[in-house]
Amino acid sequence: MQSFRRFDRPTTLAIVLIVVAFMLATFDVRSAGAGVGTTMREGAQTLFSPLQDVASAVTRPVVGFIDALSDIASLRDENDALRSENEDLKRQIDEFDSVQSELEQLMEINDLEAPQDLPTVTARIASAGSSSFDHVRYINKGADDGISMGDAVIDEQGLIGRIDLVLDDRARVRLILDPNVEVAVLDQSTSQAGMVRGDNENDLVLRMFSAEEPAREGSVVVTAGSRFPAGIRVGTITRTAADDAGFGLDTRVKPAVSFSRLDFVKVIVGYSPLDAPSIEREVNGEEPAGPNPDGANDEGVEPSSDADASVPGEEESG
Amino acid sequence: MSGRDIGISLLFVVLAVVAQTAVFGDGRINPFGVSPSVVLVVVLAFARHLDPEPAILLGFTGGMLLDLLGGSPLGLWAISYTVVVYIALRFKERAEDGPATLAVGVVGLTLVANALFLIVGTLFGERFFTSTAFIKNMIVPAFYNLPVALVVFPLATRLIGSRRNYIWSA
Repeated sequence: MQSFRRFDRPTTLAIVLIVVAFMLATFDVRSAGAGVGTTMREGAQTLFSPLQDVASAVTRPVVGFIDALSDIASLRDENDALRSENEDLKRQIDEFDSVQSELEQLMEINDLEAPQDLPTVTARIASAGSSSFDHVRYINKGADDGISMGDAVIDEQGLIGRIDLVLDDRARVRLILDPNVEVAVLDQSTSQAGMVRGDNENDLVLRMFSAEEPAREGSVVVTAGSRFPAGIRVGTITRTAADDAGFGLDTRVKPAVSFSRLDFVKVIVGYSPLDAPSIEREVNGEEPAGPNPDGANDEGVEPSSDADASVPGEEESG
Repeated sequence: MSGRDIGISLLFVVLAVVAQTAVFGDGRINPFGVSPSVVLVVVLAFARHLDPEPAILLGFTGGMLLDLLGGSPLGLWAISYTVVVYIALRFKERAEDGPATLAVGVVGLTLVANALFLIVGTLFGERFFTSTAFIKNMIVPAFYNLPVALVVFPLATRLIGSRRNYIWSA
């Protein structure tokens, strides 16, 4: 009988709760964002979203004021950087006009339709993650507004992340800062392909597996058109790096988006990764060969039968 | 301890979760990219006035709410907070209930909670250790929690602490 009295009641309760939590975590990870976890999250969001909306509305001026105070030190540097960036942008606009003209001619030649403006849904950031370890935001729009898993989220500065949880009137955005999110990108100055991944820091890691030219500081990287629509600005390379040893190159990218100041965002709805041109061969240093005939995605990952994996690859390895 | 005490404790945990996600979360008030763990402070402040079982349940509930409203797999914060409350209750009977003890306790237990979250999260495939940012995210909230505790602990004592007459019956 003595062995049955080894633990007191609080200890027993703590052990039971820890076991329950472990089981929940296991189910949640195994179900990859579906199942009981989503149901529980939906219930929690339903209960908490009105409270969060009120708290956000009441505290928004205070939050903005404190945010501005904490940013004063960096405003001067930011101002200088913006001035410099403005000059660059003026130059790029001139270049862009000529490139646009060439592009239109090429499209006519190849009898390609101009890409349609993808439909978007404007949403507001409703709440943030629950700790400093989270790289997520909840927005105040969901499945009722046409948002679905995998949709790209942008603002006027560039790519923010992708939708990884959809509820009826809410959705969760996993930011590109999250290490589980990978984005296929192109270096605009060299047209070389690579992968950008979050690093739990405020910048991103850029990996190019086969780079004939160096990735130069200041070059802009944009989405390559796989899971995310092509041409969305992701960020700027902050350190020049070259593929000296033939094993590819690693460098850092400063995100185009200021994640601490997100308020309104746009969700690109209706974009299917299967429509995107393949960059798999580009990533491997080969010539692009158009859409994948075998249904594999752009990172060469076979689509699984899981409903949530209809937009596979490019992230969520956890 | 009464049902009223448990109800008040739960109410404050809910309010703390709202504050954590709508006011202090990433992208809101988070100096140097880090925010205080308001929910943990509230859980610790109220749990010390409750009986052990409700206190442990309060920790589990607070953690689970954070999991439900956050981006990590369900259960990770629930495990951390359950363990931390359990440790707090075990140490409470051995330590003097003074400001210095509470300050050390808040800092230490926040560190334990964050470390546990990192370790368990890594077991479940989260990539927390890709850079050194995890050190900052683990340590800084512990010190941010001190001013929060300065407000919350006296409030908890005022609300439910006066009738406390609890001895751990291990």
